[in-house]
Amino acid sequence: MRSTQFRAMGIVAAAGAIALTVAACGSGTPGQPADTGGGGDDVPEGATSVEFWQLSFQDVENDWYTDAIDAFNSSQEDIHVNLTQVPGDAWEQRMTAAQAAGNAPDMYTIAYNGVISAATTGQIVSLSDHIEDDVWSDMQENVLGSVSMDGAHYAFPMLVEPSSVLWYRTDLFEAAGIDGPPTTWEELQDYAAQLTTGDVYGFGSAQAAGDMGWSTWGLQWNVAGHLPISDDWSQAEVGDEYAPLLQAWQDMYAAGSMPQQALAGYADANPMGQGQLAMNMGGSWFASVFINDFPEMVENIGAAPMPSFHGDPAAPTATLGGWTWVVDAKSEVPEEAATVIASILGGGDDEHLLEYFEGTQYSKYSPRSAVNDALVEAAADSENPWASMIASEIVPTAMPEASYPWDISLAFATALEQAMQGTDVSTALADAETEINRLIEANQLAGTAPQ
Amino acid sequence: MSARSNVMAYAMLAPIVVLLTIFVVWPVVYAIYLSFYNWSFYTPPIPVGWRNYVNVLGDRTFIESVGRGLLFAIIVVPTQLVIGFLFASLVKTVSGKIATILKVSIYIPTIISGVIASIVFVLIYNYQGGILNAFVGIFGVEKQAWLGNADTALAALTVPAVWLGLGIGTLIMLAGLVDIPTSYYEAADLDGASWFQKTFFITIPLMRNIFLYLLIAGFTGAVQQFELPLVMTDGGPLERTLLPNLYIFQHFRNDTYVGYSIAAAILLMLVLGSISAGIFRVLNSEKAVDG
Repeated sequence: MRSTQFRAMGIVAAAGAIALTVAACGSGTPGQPADTGGGGDDVPEGATSVEFWQLSFQDVENDWYTDAIDAFNSSQEDIHVNLTQVPGDAWEQRMTAAQAAGNAPDMYTIAYNGVISAATTGQIVSLSDHIEDDVWSDMQENVLGSVSMDGAHYAFPMLVEPSSVLWYRTDLFEAAGIDGPPTTWEELQDYAAQLTTGDVYGFGSAQAAGDMGWSTWGLQWNVAGHLPISDDWSQAEVGDEYAPLLQAWQDMYAAGSMPQQALAGYADANPMGQGQLAMNMGGSWFASVFINDFPEMVENIGAAPMPSFHGDPAAPTATLGGWTWVVDAKSEVPEEAATVIASILGGGDDEHLLEYFEGTQYSKYSPRSAVNDALVEAAADSENPWASMIASEIVPTAMPEASYPWDISLAFATALEQAMQGTDVSTALADAETEINRLIEANQLAGTAPQ
Repeated sequence: MSARSNVMAYAMLAPIVVLLTIFVVWPVVYAIYLSFYNWSFYTPPIPVGWRNYVNVLGDRTFIESVGRGLLFAIIVVPTQLVIGFLFASLVKTVSGKIATILKVSIYIPTIISGVIASIVFVLIYNYQGGILNAFVGIFGVEKQAWLGNADTALAALTVPAVWLGLGIGTLIMLAGLVDIPTSYYEAADLDGASWFQKTFFITIPLMRNIFLYLLIAGFTGAVQQFELPLVMTDGGPLERTLLPNLYIFQHFRNDTYVGYSIAAAILLMLVLGSISAGIFRVLNSEKAVDG
């Protein structure tokens, strides 16, 4: 017992030392709200408490979480959920400290690409043991696959957001005499060159490896038919099939159709809203930014799938990012936590769940077919004119996010950035292949891919 | 009497020794232990021997980041020392009120958060609508991607780094300058010494320990610079601003197991310790000879 405590103290102290070593990573961003939450103080006698940490999102989303938890707490007296909304910049530090001290919350939100890693390291429990099969039956297969390992489901998907949509300025297209969005990459590059004038750039997208690493997964699938590592993670698969993607970035950067430096991070829709871009590859979440912050621009913005490199409209051009709910492996009440998840996300109250998608102006989509069908129908009459197209033309072909270690994605993205900055495409791809093989060897990844 | 004195001495030392042991020695020892494991909070540590160290040393990104950190420090620290010394000399020569204004002015960057300074400089360097591009535009120079161009990004980061560290260095140097007995300068004046002669034969030798402190503190601080590349460039473009601490942080944040980032942190500690020891050896610290 004493040695366990001693060991725990050591782990906490070591984590603190490392945090200090990496220098001042604990500071909060000024203006970020303090933790807030829901659940109230009126815990029914004998009720089991479940701690739930939610990454703080937009106000409308936070309000929905609070309402959902309050509604669940009011609906029964056996389980009482305490919701904590943690600001984004404090999440890593708070969660790491809580895990080190053995005080991690019972359940929390986690992004798709973190699920398999968390499952592999035993951080989260399989929900298959706690949530019945029929609750999962409504889930889209491709989404379910991204949270499953060895036949068990480790997270309950809440929403999906396609990572890449082609947003374009219909007024600028019309003024330039261009009819409709590009359907091929040749057209896209041609239009981008034509539409670049003064301070308006023809095409904007991720231009730094950190952003390219995840935002181009869909295009990697599209151009090569696979991601740059074999299915069993035993070797790099970075061949010439990726060349058209790298070449496109290189050509548009050299031609000045793309700015010499990204006008904002990939997730930021402001440059498009502010009229600095004629075309912008961005996520489906751009819709709510345009509607809320740039309402005067909505009638001048169109949305389309990104062009397919080989002309196949059914080929994926996006991946499905988004958020899931998981149960911590050290939770003493996994059954109760899973009950909360199944009740709120699994069909217990779909009307309330639909309010989430309505509140976020249908810029996100449900991985559950029944909910998604209902939201697509509702979106048709909504203020979001792009929701139906995204739901019908992009979501169905989109792929799950990559689940291999982030370094692999970064290695490929570095090749893309190298090519954009002028390195020969073949050289950049060869560098990526070497680096990915080194990472496979160093991390002993071969054979560890989830099945 | 002697034994009682010893007991009192140990008693007075005990708090700091205990605190250092708990918060410095033990975490470092435990971190070294963990660096030989693949480790997470949820699974028993898996011993991997030297593999984490071999992997870190085999990663050209880490080696390059350390080299880049040294280059960054070589640009930043001497620049800070020279500007700080000139500024401190200026402050010493002017009257009280103006000296106060100058001291406050030079110290202001020190109390500004590195994150805020980073955001301010991002606005200055912005490719589209940045103040610097507007300025160079007046002279007909095309706008530049200061932070987006692999050739200029690191240099662009050195400017806020110098600015942020200038205040404290200048004030420490000013304290050193004021501490030098005026009789030395009066004697030099009687011998007809010029300003340069007084500076190089009186001021700088008597400030050796201050330079030594600023050099070591500045060098280790600059190599470990973290906020500026994190906020301004996230290590890009093409890893050209990826300094070692940011490299370690990125791995700490993204890796499945943390043994690798701990090994990298320990290797960086060894590098910085060696460099500090080297500086001590070259610039031998001496007790001040004047009273």
